[in-house]
Amino acid sequence: MNAIEIKNLSKNFGPKQAVCGLDMTVPMGAIYGFIGENGSGKSTTEKMICGLIPKSGGSIKLYGRDYTDENVRAKVGVLIEAPGCFPGLTVWDNMMLQAENLSIPNAQAEVIKVLKTVRMEGAAGNKYKNCSLGMKQRVGIAMALLGDPTLLVLDEPLNGLDADGMRIMREVFLDIVKDGTRSIVVSSHLLGELQKTATHYGIIRHGKMVVEMTAEELDANCRTYVALQSEEMNRTKLLLGCKYSRVEEDEAGYIRVYDLTTPEEIVTYLYENGICITEIKSEKIGLEEYYIDLMKGGKR
Amino acid sequence: MTNTREIKFESPTFARRIKGMLGVDFYRLFHTPLFYIFLAIAAIIPAMVSAMTMMPDQNGNTMEPLYSNVWQIIAASKSLYVIETIADYANMNMVFIFGGIMVSIFIGHDYKSGYVKQLFTTHAKKQDYMISKSLVCAFAMACMCITYLIGGTVGGLLVGYETDVNVGSLFVAILGKIIMSLGWASLYTFLNVIFRRYFGISIMSSFFFGTGILIIGIAAIVENLHVPTAFLNIFLYGASVNANLSSGIGSLLICMAVSVVWAVIYNVAGTRLLNKCDVY
Repeated sequence: MNAIEIKNLSKNFGPKQAVCGLDMTVPMGAIYGFIGENGSGKSTTEKMICGLIPKSGGSIKLYGRDYTDENVRAKVGVLIEAPGCFPGLTVWDNMMLQAENLSIPNAQAEVIKVLKTVRMEGAAGNKYKNCSLGMKQRVGIAMALLGDPTLLVLDEPLNGLDADGMRIMREVFLDIVKDGTRSIVVSSHLLGELQKTATHYGIIRHGKMVVEMTAEELDANCRTYVALQSEEMNRTKLLLGCKYSRVEEDEAGYIRVYDLTTPEEIVTYLYENGICITEIKSEKIGLEEYYIDLMKGGKR
Repeated sequence: MTNTREIKFESPTFARRIKGMLGVDFYRLFHTPLFYIFLAIAAIIPAMVSAMTMMPDQNGNTMEPLYSNVWQIIAASKSLYVIETIADYANMNMVFIFGGIMVSIFIGHDYKSGYVKQLFTTHAKKQDYMISKSLVCAFAMACMCITYLIGGTVGGLLVGYETDVNVGSLFVAILGKIIMSLGWASLYTFLNVIFRRYFGISIMSSFFFGTGILIIGIAAIVENLHVPTAFLNIFLYGASVNANLSSGIGSLLICMAVSVVWAVIYNVAGTRLLNKCDVY
């Protein structure tokens, strides 16, 4: 059974089609990285999954049940954009109100537990309006964790988090899915960070799913390249360009050769042409570069 | 990965859900200065209206008293759908105008803060939201009726109005208006659901309906046509006017029926609207 199964989902806002024929499958136990450009339909899809906006067509099933089923909704924790908190109340009060809305028995203990999870127990007495952006995001995640949800839908949860905050979130995500029954859908533009935890990916463009794959598939799809530096960069680039079809210089000042080759082969070739290499390494492109390539319609 | 935990899908019963939501809404109500400000306004306005009528005008002459009796500040002497003087209008029914503004601000904050977004992504049902808001706002307006009663009575006594009254009718008028709070609160909750994205329009629409101007207009037309106006009691403003100092138990029953029926209508309509529209 999948945590989320979406078939042919569509959403129209008047004449504008925000989501059109989207299929999406989130397996149980997955951390699903939901990626797309601004306005690609990520948030609209997430809002439909969460029941905030009605769909125009298609089907959404959560754990095999219709997404409107209140029993299954009780198991969904959500953070869409910013958390919905009353600015004049304290973090603790806001958490307690949400716990009361969720009819959580032993609410105080539960609120303490989730605040500890996101390392916010020390700031519980702060007024929400006085919290920093990162703290507010943590409160939002803590709120989403209330009621022991089996599915978390988090829209840009990493926004505003500092390095330590991101590390904590990574730990939280991994802890949540460790028993294999809970799943997380995370949309984020911080692809490098997402790659550290995601087990599955879905890339959306113009309201349609471009590709869905596992982390292993992404790894297999990501090309390796050889990056090098030499004493004569311009000549090196020229020479490599004569032999290989795709040679580029990156922002860090390395020449990258994307063709199927080895560092040894390049070293030999350049040595024969009188060029001394100062550094050479074989690397794989990351999610970010894979995504940019995909969006440009380039090679995978 | 292996599934080591069985997932149980169950949501709280209606009673637990509504208890939780009412708890949240009452907590918010008692922790917002808005509620206390409107309670104070409801008390000050009748006292001020009473006092102002005793003040000398520009020529130094004392103005004609607006009321002759303390309890006329609370309710009109008889059912007057078409008002002749400001005294016919300026009674406890004014609470429903301030109340509308208070409800608009209170509910508007739900949308502004993103609270509804947080709420409706859980198992919370739209009907629970409508019921909870209507009940809590009705409570707030009922409290405003009480502070209005206190302010009006104290103001009237200080000014020195007469106190003769049919106690039974007075009791019916006060209780009738308090009961009408439920219907009015449901109307305002519904209006705020319609205009949820437009805070200013919600306030203006609440004010517009709260003044009863539509019913006053219809009453004026009906009276000119020499048609009985009793049918106006099926509307919130009509039933509120009908709870007056010459009312009997029948008026109280009308208030109860009208308030409950309109509350149900507005709650059902609001729930349907929330189910069909984008909540956030």
